[in-house]
Amino acid sequence: MAETKGSGLDKNNKYDRQLRLWGDHGQSALEAARVCLINATATGTEILKNVILPGIGSFTIVDGHKVRGEDVGNNFFLLADSIGKSRAQVATELLGELNDDVTGNFVEESVETLLESNPDYFSTFSVVVAINLHEKALLQLGGVLWEKNIPLLVCRCYGFIGYLRLAVREHTIVESHPDSALEDLRLDRPFPGLQTFCDSLNMETMTKKEHGHTPWLVLLYKYVQEWKKTHDGQIPKNYKEKNMLKEMIRKGIRQNEEGVPELEENFDEAVTHVNSALVTTRIPSEVQALFDDPCCTNINSESKTFWILCRALHDFVHNEGNGDLPLRGTIPDMTSDSERYIQLQNVYREQAATDMTAIRNRVHALLQSLGRPCGAVSDNEIKTFCRNAAFLRLVRCRSLAEEYGTNTVNKDELNMHLESEEGDDLLFYILLRGVDRFYDEYNRYPGRDNSDVEPDIPKLKTCLTKLLHDWGLSGTVKEDYIHEMCRYGASEVHSIASYMGGVVAQEVIKILTTQFVPINNTYVYNGFLQTSTTVQL
Amino acid sequence: MAATLKGVLQGSLADNVKNSKILVVGAGGIGCEVLKDLVLTGFKTIEVIDLDTIDVSNLNRQFLFRKEHVKKSKSQVARESVLKFNPDVDIKAYHDSVMSPDYDVNFFKQFTLVLNALDNRAARNHVNRMCLAADIPLVESGTAGYLGQVTVIKKGLTECYECQPKPPQKTFPGCTIRNTPSEPIHCVVWAKHLFNQLFGEDDPDQDVSPDTEDPELTAEAGQSALQSEAKTDEIGGIERKSTRVWAMNTGYDPEKLFNKLFRDDIKYLLSMETLWKKRRPPQPLNMTQLPSDTDGNSSAIRDQRQWSVKECANVFSDCLGQLKKELATQGDGGMLVWDKDDETALDFVASVANIRAHIFGIAMKTRFDIKSMAGNIIPAIATTNAIIAGLIIMEAIKILSGKIKSCKTVYLNRVPNDRNRLLVPCTLDPPNPKCYVCAPKPEVTVVVNCTRFKVGALQDKVLKSYLGMVAPDVEIDDGKGTIIISSEEGETEENNDKFLSDFGIRNGTRLKCDDFLQVYSLVVTIAHVEKLEEEKEFEVVGDLSELQPQEEQQQAANGSKPHNGGDKADGQCTVPCLNPWAVLTLSDL
Repeated sequence: MAETKGSGLDKNNKYDRQLRLWGDHGQSALEAARVCLINATATGTEILKNVILPGIGSFTIVDGHKVRGEDVGNNFFLLADSIGKSRAQVATELLGELNDDVTGNFVEESVETLLESNPDYFSTFSVVVAINLHEKALLQLGGVLWEKNIPLLVCRCYGFIGYLRLAVREHTIVESHPDSALEDLRLDRPFPGLQTFCDSLNMETMTKKEHGHTPWLVLLYKYVQEWKKTHDGQIPKNYKEKNMLKEMIRKGIRQNEEGVPELEENFDEAVTHVNSALVTTRIPSEVQALFDDPCCTNINSESKTFWILCRALHDFVHNEGNGDLPLRGTIPDMTSDSERYIQLQNVYREQAATDMTAIRNRVHALLQSLGRPCGAVSDNEIKTFCRNAAFLRLVRCRSLAEEYGTNTVNKDELNMHLESEEGDDLLFYILLRGVDRFYDEYNRYPGRDNSDVEPDIPKLKTCLTKLLHDWGLSGTVKEDYIHEMCRYGASEVHSIASYMGGVVAQEVIKILTTQFVPINNTYVYNGFLQTSTTVQL
Repeated sequence: MAATLKGVLQGSLADNVKNSKILVVGAGGIGCEVLKDLVLTGFKTIEVIDLDTIDVSNLNRQFLFRKEHVKKSKSQVARESVLKFNPDVDIKAYHDSVMSPDYDVNFFKQFTLVLNALDNRAARNHVNRMCLAADIPLVESGTAGYLGQVTVIKKGLTECYECQPKPPQKTFPGCTIRNTPSEPIHCVVWAKHLFNQLFGEDDPDQDVSPDTEDPELTAEAGQSALQSEAKTDEIGGIERKSTRVWAMNTGYDPEKLFNKLFRDDIKYLLSMETLWKKRRPPQPLNMTQLPSDTDGNSSAIRDQRQWSVKECANVFSDCLGQLKKELATQGDGGMLVWDKDDETALDFVASVANIRAHIFGIAMKTRFDIKSMAGNIIPAIATTNAIIAGLIIMEAIKILSGKIKSCKTVYLNRVPNDRNRLLVPCTLDPPNPKCYVCAPKPEVTVVVNCTRFKVGALQDKVLKSYLGMVAPDVEIDDGKGTIIISSEEGETEENNDKFLSDFGIRNGTRLKCDDFLQVYSLVVTIAHVEKLEEEKEFEVVGDLSELQPQEEQQQAANGSKPHNGGDKADGQCTVPCLNPWAVLTLSDL
């Protein structure tokens, strides 16, 4: 378990291409993470490879198996001369070569014995990835990690099928990086600073150059004020009203001596932004759900930072915020002279800073009431939280125990897929559960030898019937699917392992950086059709 | 090895895999993954070609390389690393450009399959044509950050890489860069041009001095500016001698350079008054009278902190000294090549771009952001490449099973879409009968002003850069067979500076263009116009019907003709980007 020394390379250069995705703080979170892999199969080592390269803190492989010939055939991180050696050890050594800044450890024990001898062993990890576990060990491990709220990713590659299940009790995300987010401009409810600034500008008395370089945000503000005067203080709401406002703006374009409108780009921009910028400021439903969550309403000494921040945010909204979230404080690029653009930028920045200070005071007060030091939550953390207040997300998965429990199985979802048209990826989930049942009965997987394929088909079919019966479902799985499953013979195809190695590692990175929303909770990939589906089971 | 595959890859397929010969073009992010996947899927004979050498910034994903391999050949190190793990495969590595004439159609014909793992459009175009000429199936791929895509190209059966026009790579009009920048990127481009003018290869298209031929200038305004040139000559010499020679003569003196570039040239620009009637005029800077530092935000790390103008000027000074030394080590006539991963070269561009931005009232940017803009950096991570490589191998396996018709174009989304799909597979489209590459008799129309467009520009900008030819031969289809461009060195160079009209080329003239390496013939019809919009020098129109006036086009677009990608879905296709190739054309591997 020797520690490797740092690479001595400048991390800013080495990690440049990924820092552009998750930033320095995301990278720091990765570098602090301890990842555990159970079973260094091809899929397992591919997953680790893809988190070691971007620089997690350390990894530990738990694997009681010795390297076999067929392991070497599909696993890049085992060599022909490793046959007979500890799979955990060989894989740890070869994976360790990928990045000198990552520490590698291994335990040559099966997860079953480890759970028995030292059930607390797993509690020190940031995330655990388990490959090809049998049901009993899986549920036991799942229970231990669930208790400690450590995320567990269950993964499996079977023939052309890839399977991933995330089990985490609670995962909170501040930076969810939404695909398309509207700007936070508050044109419907202008804050005092914005009002003062816009009102200080008089369009009538401006020179030609000033007129054509007044930021569209200011133009829109002014025309909305004018609109409100004749519309009961309401902003334009529907398509028709917005078109009327656009017409008003167009009429504001200056004309030259001959009465021909000048080319004023800022007015064009104001018109194009009517639809996207003139929105009602409100609390997104996801954020409202956080406010209503017992974790937010009952802050106690055990509360996570995220919930303390949520509570402070909630209290802010109902006090200083006058019903609104803190201002994000950024504005888009626009045609303007730089002086007024910078002034406008500062107007938004200052309000955002004021909001942030109010929330910081609330966070500190909450921390104090809980007997924690104010330094427990850094200003940067609060700033990031405020900037992302509209995009906060919460993932709570169903537990493995619920998924596997006869009374709690998601019967409706499964039934829907069972009865759907051919090509449904979820049928393979049912088949995977079927081959596990087969394993329990015969102590081997169907079609393990080519000669077994045909005779195993009816056996697997029986297993599936029993399984569906246990679930209280009456449908059946088509024979060709069962045949296909037997043909796979539990083999691990490398290209599928490579694919799932990428997918699972990506989820691990999302979880470790607490950026982006992870898959909730089951993902099935069909390599032959190149299709995949996400469902909650 | 790969014994477990027997059951899954049935009978003849396992043999097909074993007996096939695969060419992997590119040994970068996707290439490393593909090589590993091929070997572990049972492929035995592989050749890999890559021109590039290994950089530190590759190590976060190109797992066949270690820090001790930095600056070595990607293809050769990749080969050695794979062989270390699996000695019983036959891998041949070429440290070379796939566009070299050594890799002709016979070279391509020896392969069962070609797998592209490229990062640029020029090479993709070329390999596309080589595979069409050799009639070898091609699996094409690309990644950008969390996004990726894979598709299969087979002559006569599917669209080729060039069947659908791609968005042009973004360029900026010269006068925007030289006279009237309005966005940060304009300043970054100018700064890179300045680097090349001072230390790199001289390129007349990268002039950094004020442009007196700006079409916005009236004849009169240009005239008065020209007259004032005598004045500027005294203080620095705008056009007398090249910027490079002048800078060298001053010994790359920071103050002299600064005051010429950021004071005198700006004053000169101000003298072109028409430009500033509606724009905010730039404000000249004097190196000894810079605005004082105000921002006390010095706790942030250097890369992500906004430098003040004064700081920029200091960095500019330091860089000049450094780069001057580096240039001296190159010997007489030597030059430096700008590289985004070279600290000094990047510092130079970051400081210059910011000073210029300040002058023009444009938002200044951090070094981190400027690196991204100047280097066209596309984020790249191991996970996406691993996913895409897995998809590539699955498509390859389908081709080898004789199931090419069930191959798909697969898009990888950043997160599952509204239908809970992370992957979006689409059936392959048939070839575009009007494609200027894979149609039986490809034709294209080039719109130019024949009296102002030179033969050299036809060769470099139209045929090579835009139409992707490597070594074109061009003959006028006038019955006499006048050859205006020859791929043989020394035969037609003297034509390069002549205008098309000098050879009697006019509206409607047909040019027969051939590229022997690509086994590609294209008929170019010239359409003469006096002036193109947006100051474009030329325009290539694949389909003449596209030349119809805007309004008609609008009608056609609103009519029944679906946008590419809109109707080829498997009933579940929501194409993540409008142009399905947009991701590919961005990728950096």
